[in-house]
Amino acid sequence: MQKKNHTGKIGAITQINKQVYSIEFSSPTLKSINPGQYISILCEGLTLRRPFSVADFDNGVLKVLFKQKGKGTEYISGLKVGDSIEFSAPLGNTFTIDDKKTLLIGAGIGVAPLFYLNKKLKEEGAETFLAAGFLSKEDVLGDFDFVSTDDGTFGEKGSICDYLETLIKDFVPDRIVSCAPSAVLRIISSVAKSHKIDCEIAMEKVMACGIGICRGCVIEVRRDGKVQNATVCKDGPVFKGEEVVW
Amino acid sequence: MVDLSLKLNEFELDNPIITASGTYGYSNEFEVFCDVQKIGAVVTKGITKEPRLGNDGQRIFETSSGMINRIGLENVGIQTFLKEKLPILQEQGINFILNIAGSAIDDYVELAKIADKNKIKAIELNVSCPNVHSGCIEFGVNKDSLYKLVSKVRDSYSGCLIVKLSPNVTSPEEVALAAENADADAISAINTVRGMGVKLDFVNGQFKKTTVAGGLSGKAIKPVALSFVDRIHKVVDIPIIAMGGIYTLVDILEFFSVGARAVQIGTANFTHPDIAQKLIIELEEFMQKHKFSTLDELQNKLKEAEYV
Ligand SMILES: Cc1cc2nc3c(=O)[nH]c(=O)nc-3n(C[C@H](O)[C@H](O)[C@H](O)COP(=O)(O)OP(=O)(O)OC[C@H]3O[C@@H](n4cnc5c(N)ncnc54)[C@H](O)[C@@H]3O)c2cc1C
Ligand SMILES: Cc1cc2nc3c(=O)[nH]c(=O)nc-3n(C[C@H](O)[C@H](O)[C@H](O)COP(=O)(O)O)c2cc1C
Ligand code: FES
Repeated sequence: MQKKNHTGKIGAITQINKQVYSIEFSSPTLKSINPGQYISILCEGLTLRRPFSVADFDNGVLKVLFKQKGKGTEYISGLKVGDSIEFSAPLGNTFTIDDKKTLLIGAGIGVAPLFYLNKKLKEEGAETFLAAGFLSKEDVLGDFDFVSTDDGTFGEKGSICDYLETLIKDFVPDRIVSCAPSAVLRIISSVAKSHKIDCEIAMEKVMACGIGICRGCVIEVRRDGKVQNATVCKDGPVFKGEEVVW
Repeated sequence: MVDLSLKLNEFELDNPIITASGTYGYSNEFEVFCDVQKIGAVVTKGITKEPRLGNDGQRIFETSSGMINRIGLENVGIQTFLKEKLPILQEQGINFILNIAGSAIDDYVELAKIADKNKIKAIELNVSCPNVHSGCIEFGVNKDSLYKLVSKVRDSYSGCLIVKLSPNVTSPEEVALAAENADADAISAINTVRGMGVKLDFVNGQFKKTTVAGGLSGKAIKPVALSFVDRIHKVVDIPIIAMGGIYTLVDILEFFSVGARAVQIGTANFTHPDIAQKLIIELEEFMQKHKFSTLDELQNKLKEAEYV
């Protein structure tokens, strides 16, 4: 059995804006990883590995988009081309990949996994619409079908949540998929539910083991009529919007 | 050839590297990272009579050189363990120790009886749990309550009985002796050290605070563990299984030098999920290179180390 520990080599690392970096690396032992799944990176000197979603996986090359936040992301942003990187992968479950008409909604760095998902959905022949919200023009990460910024310096002005109804009305999706801060996910889930549209959201929680055994990352979900614990690391990070107990 | 095997009373281990409770699952979960069968023994997550959902809120907090957890003993309960996990352990030939926890002496006794009936060869008592019948003071902090608990469990269990001590005590010697006098076969130490993490944010002129109070583990607690093991080794004769911040072969040798017979790897499994298997190989290579043919030889030599 192929184990989930890998050592990769950094092929590229670029600073995209003040806080966000893109890093690319490959490892001969990592054969596949699907949208929604994540990896966890060993950061020298730190106890816990840092989880990151996959922004792309192409010809064995993994791409991660990350926002510099604390010690772990500082370590990763300091890596150079040619440095080796130790990581565990693939971890977690996946978004549904089929040909359903899908509205993808990201906010901030939450857009990262949606790029890879969007690509895979299109390969399946799905019609997609990629929307995202950011704080300001300099935070916008990549190309989208719709963008809003809180300060109105790029795209429409306001939070992406202000545009949910319009986006749904115009695009009429069969499914909504989102990765965003939990306050935004909560709103998107409830709007999707009110329109009776399937909704998949990617959650975040501080993690230790990444494989469901330490129970450090649990959230409450309602399944089979009862509230139970689910781990974000293994049962997730992708959950149905309506099953999460907020 | 070097022989890494050891016996804790009648309980046999191929090597002295054990994975610690709560950091390695119930059975073969770590096979996605390494060959679990090679581990000396896997200690299961703490098991209670009934399933437990654990604590609300943030459960993990990384600290400098360690982490704090307040999982709250979320576990599947003994019945699900027997039905779903035990068969995996048996079929895959994984050597294991059942870690048990309770909130009353009767809980532990009942679990010990079940272990006995199912021919589970070794159990580890997590005595860092509040005793509901004694004002929720932990069993392990008081020598008398610990003695009573261990004696009662001993009466109902014939396998290898390991008592896992808490470092949050005034006198390690007293609690270790209580465990030995109650006829425990071995002591394991240390459980996590009580600690708290605080994270402050300053937003719009206001401080916001997150606190996570629980058990500290990892590199940060190694000196606490070394001191604890050193102290209890001076007063008890039963074998000691040491843990607390072990990451390297040198760490293991240090613990052997203060009297440990075996070691457990906990938090390090999160940092390097294949570390336990790697440490077994490193220990074996070290012994080969320096011509120690048995664990006894190595450990005796370490205990005789000269002070410089
Ligand atoms: C499944 C998953 C996918 C993720 N994907 C991405 C991504 O693609 N790009 C990206 O920039 N970020 C992503 N994150 C968040 C990222 O893991 C954190 O920003 C990162 O761990 C911060 O580490 P740090 O040491 O820089 O920050 P610190 O704040 O110093 O970290 C302290 C501790 O908290 C944990 N932590 C902090 N923020 C988060 C968070 N939001 N979620 C989970 N744990 C956190 C850290 O892992 C560490 O254990 C993802 C998180 C999860 C759970
Ligand atoms: C997430 C986590 C869960 C734990 N759960 C248990 C448990 O259920 N029972 C127990 O006896 N000890 C438990 N422990 C304590 C460890 O087994 C070990 O005693 C402690 O972490 C010190 O070793 P370390 O520094 O190598 O981690 C847990 C530790 C961690 C980090
Ligand atoms: S991180 Fe251990 S259970 Fe999720």
